[in-house]
Amino acid sequence: MVKKRTIWPYVLVAPAVFIILCVVFIPVINAIIMSFQNYDLRRPKEIAFNGFSNYAAACRDPLFWGSLTRTIIWVVCGVGFQFLFGFILALLLNKEFKGRGVVRAVSMIPWVTPGVLIGLMWRWIYDGNFGVLNDLLLKVHFITDKIPFLSQVTTAFPSVIVTIIWQGIPFFALMLLAALQGVSTDIYEASDIDGASAWQKLILITIPSIKNTIFVTALLRIIWVANSVDVIFNMTEGGPAYSTQTLSVYIFNKGNALNLGYASAMALLMAVLLLFVAVPYLKMNFKEEV
Amino acid sequence: MKQVDMKKIFCVYLPLIVILLFILFPFYWTLITSVKPEDELYGTVVTYWPRAFTLESYRKLFTTTVNFFGAIKNSFLVATMTTLVSLTASTLAAYAFSRYQFAGRKILMCTFLCNNMFPTVLLLIPLYSIMRKMGLLYTPTSLVLSYTTFTIPFSVWLLLGFLNDLPMSLEEAALVDGCNRGVAFVRIILPILGPCLVATGVYIFMTSWNEYTFAVMFTNAETRTIPVALKSLIGQLGVQWDLLTAGGIITIIPVCIMFFFAQKRLVEGLTAGAVKG
Amino acid sequence: MKQRLLGKKTMAIAMAALMAAGTMTGCSAGGKENTETAETTKKETTGAVTATSTAKDGQASTGEIKPCTIKFRYWADNTDYSQLMQDIIKKFNAENGKGITVVGEETPWDGGAYSENLFNAKMGGGDIDCATWKLTSTPLFVNNDLLADLTPFIDAWDKKSDIDENIYNIMVEAGDMERVYVMPWNIQVLYVYYRPSIFKKAGIEVPKTYEEFLEAIEKCTMDTNGDGKTDVYGFGMRGAKGGQEPWGSFVNGRGGSFKDLTTPEAVQGMQDFVDVYKKGYVPPTAISDGFSEIIANFKSGLTAMTIHHTGSSKDMEKVFGDDVSAFPFPTGKGQWTSMGDTETVIFNSCENKAAAFEWVSYLAAGEGQKMWCEGTGNVPVSKSIQASDFFQNNRFMKASIDGQGYAGIVPILDTTTEWISSLWPNTVSQALTGSITPEQCMRTLQDGLYQ
Repeated sequence: MVKKRTIWPYVLVAPAVFIILCVVFIPVINAIIMSFQNYDLRRPKEIAFNGFSNYAAACRDPLFWGSLTRTIIWVVCGVGFQFLFGFILALLLNKEFKGRGVVRAVSMIPWVTPGVLIGLMWRWIYDGNFGVLNDLLLKVHFITDKIPFLSQVTTAFPSVIVTIIWQGIPFFALMLLAALQGVSTDIYEASDIDGASAWQKLILITIPSIKNTIFVTALLRIIWVANSVDVIFNMTEGGPAYSTQTLSVYIFNKGNALNLGYASAMALLMAVLLLFVAVPYLKMNFKEEV
Repeated sequence: MKQVDMKKIFCVYLPLIVILLFILFPFYWTLITSVKPEDELYGTVVTYWPRAFTLESYRKLFTTTVNFFGAIKNSFLVATMTTLVSLTASTLAAYAFSRYQFAGRKILMCTFLCNNMFPTVLLLIPLYSIMRKMGLLYTPTSLVLSYTTFTIPFSVWLLLGFLNDLPMSLEEAALVDGCNRGVAFVRIILPILGPCLVATGVYIFMTSWNEYTFAVMFTNAETRTIPVALKSLIGQLGVQWDLLTAGGIITIIPVCIMFFFAQKRLVEGLTAGAVKG
Repeated sequence: MKQRLLGKKTMAIAMAALMAAGTMTGCSAGGKENTETAETTKKETTGAVTATSTAKDGQASTGEIKPCTIKFRYWADNTDYSQLMQDIIKKFNAENGKGITVVGEETPWDGGAYSENLFNAKMGGGDIDCATWKLTSTPLFVNNDLLADLTPFIDAWDKKSDIDENIYNIMVEAGDMERVYVMPWNIQVLYVYYRPSIFKKAGIEVPKTYEEFLEAIEKCTMDTNGDGKTDVYGFGMRGAKGGQEPWGSFVNGRGGSFKDLTTPEAVQGMQDFVDVYKKGYVPPTAISDGFSEIIANFKSGLTAMTIHHTGSSKDMEKVFGDDVSAFPFPTGKGQWTSMGDTETVIFNSCENKAAAFEWVSYLAAGEGQKMWCEGTGNVPVSKSIQASDFFQNNRFMKASIDGQGYAGIVPILDTTTEWISSLWPNTVSQALTGSITPEQCMRTLQDGLYQ
């Protein structure tokens, strides 16, 4: 870490900062201001500052709290299993076997698939009348009656979570695979001599050597999944009976209804919550440097 | 010897097959749907292999108003440009964050992280107006510009994670040997970082390849990208399944082939970087 | 807050009159009457425009329209419609004789987000001149001063009388109650599709009353292969977004209305809706079934009846041939069916409004109207085109036309869009699953619409 004063870091950071400032600075400031107004474009003549009343309204809104709870479940289950399967896949893809290149390529498919298609395809698979999942389950006699997966309050949310897990596996697999390439092989060789088991090697060598990547990818993915709208929206639009409406979908609905003040306030609340999630990592990151 | 094989089957092939089944089944289903005639879609019997086989949907995709070829071209252009621009900008920034201590560093890093926490739906009107004033509306540049603002912060953090995992000893050795930072960066860091750059590049490419919200706002018939073209197949009168799935397959395959070649770099980076041994 | 309800009675009279007038004037309102009406309306105009000619007449233009380009945004429901629209644009550009070039910009329907995308673009200063339209988004755009007032143009239009006065009134009611901001284009009237073969098996006739309709739903629900499970459901219910249209018929069938959804009659209609679901007369997926699902279920023979408009009739005939027919939603204490609508608008920012009006009027009553409605099977607004054989000799068109007398639209307020896309589906699914009572459901819907 270089600590003396030099112009270099600023020069290196400049292009990135410039592009970001140029494009999103004004819109974001604008959104923050909107959150303190009753900014509802359906009634533009009534727009005025109203202090914190959007935030107060959100706190009183049972749908807000319901959506928040669902967002937490969505993120914990979604990112948790994405990571688990992604990590396993990365470890497997790091091993030598025939056709590895092809397997690596095809395992990226969920990520390549356009978001528009993901929601619709899964909706089609889950379909209660013609869906292939019901047919498969019937064939193996796992069920006797077709399950309308996306039409029941109890099954709709787990179903969309499975979809987001599916979609996110390749991200973790790829990132962790890349990080695994940087792990020096001589440590493994040394541990082989010491007679360490595969499990010990994983816990004691692999995970510590890629821990930064694990933390960063998990954090970025949490932010991404918490904000994702298209999978849920294309599958259920938040229904039935709000059972799949996460906070991001709620904000999206309010935003689309042009109640931008309320939507912005909820978005800021969500950003603050996400920041709380990020704090431990940031702290760790900054502390190590000192 | 035989025991080793069994072990490999249980520890490598079996879990791999299970995960691949989960990953590939929806793709298989998309593929099958794209070649099924419509009456087979809503039949009382679900067919796992089409009884009748038709490539009509693929033909329609390129000959009708969908103009899918144009959409592929635009998507490709936008995704490639975005990848180049954001990868360059974010590698530089990530390097600065990881190797220099400077005023405003922490604030900038936090800002980068927060940048992506805000839902895009709330930024659309001002963004549209900015693009219009810059005269970029309906050009691929407007998409490249708006995508980079969302991919750069993520990529910076990703690369930062990778950089922090990399051993610094090699670079320090080079510095002691009298190389300046620039030379050390190019000769030592870049090659080691190779796999991570590929991974980050893939991330950026995918993100811009699949983005819809900005694409529908900032493009017109000439510049529209794949997600917009696909979405236009879903009207008030339902989903045109055949065209939609065919479009999906055509979107997926070239990228997979590209990735097949890119993933070789994941291994090459390792050997080229001389980290080994 | 103003209530812009469409009075059912006025609608009924209007539509009946419209049809009668349509049939009487006969086929060609094209040539003869034009000059006459143009003369009389000229006096009323502010002098801005007197659009007198259609391409067909070949009359000289007024000279006030300079050659220009008009940017027209539209959505297409499928690739055929997209091609059709491009053909119409091409024809107009070739034949308008005034140097007007329409540039079509197609954007996705996007489950209705078409309107929001359009709004965002206009608020961001986008240069779109005119666009296809759904009446529900009118208050939003009018409140933000985005739409051009079409009243002077329509008053000066030689074909003004080819569209019924009451259709204009609907346009006025959706706006600010004074001006016409929206140009009529085509409508769709919802009716009930049924399978004659299943009716025969169930031993029933086409229902004449709302009660008979409920009975028919029950009787058509059957187990055809004797395995103890329902194979054919009486009715394909739409519980997802857009389901408020058929649902409105149930509420009104019991004598309720959109004016007050909490009346005992309206609640009873909601109760019927819940009952057919709870008793298993509709597929268990009904809660999340949208348009594609109800049509797929009907096409596969899973349901005996479902509610939609002529937009799907071509496909139905392709699948069933003669074994599909239609009847208008029957009458109970009240009678209502939903009228779907598609219009066009011109934006305030458009610099050549007169030229843009040439184009939208071409779609409303000119060759564009004929080509579009024949190609898509939608009900034309032009009386002269409605009277043509194409629309008179079609059983589905007949069910539409029979239903026109009591067809209406959900009250168009600034809350309507959100009510349709989020509040209605979620609240009704709560009632269907039994987590709230029909009374609570109707109370929530009432408050959401008239907040």
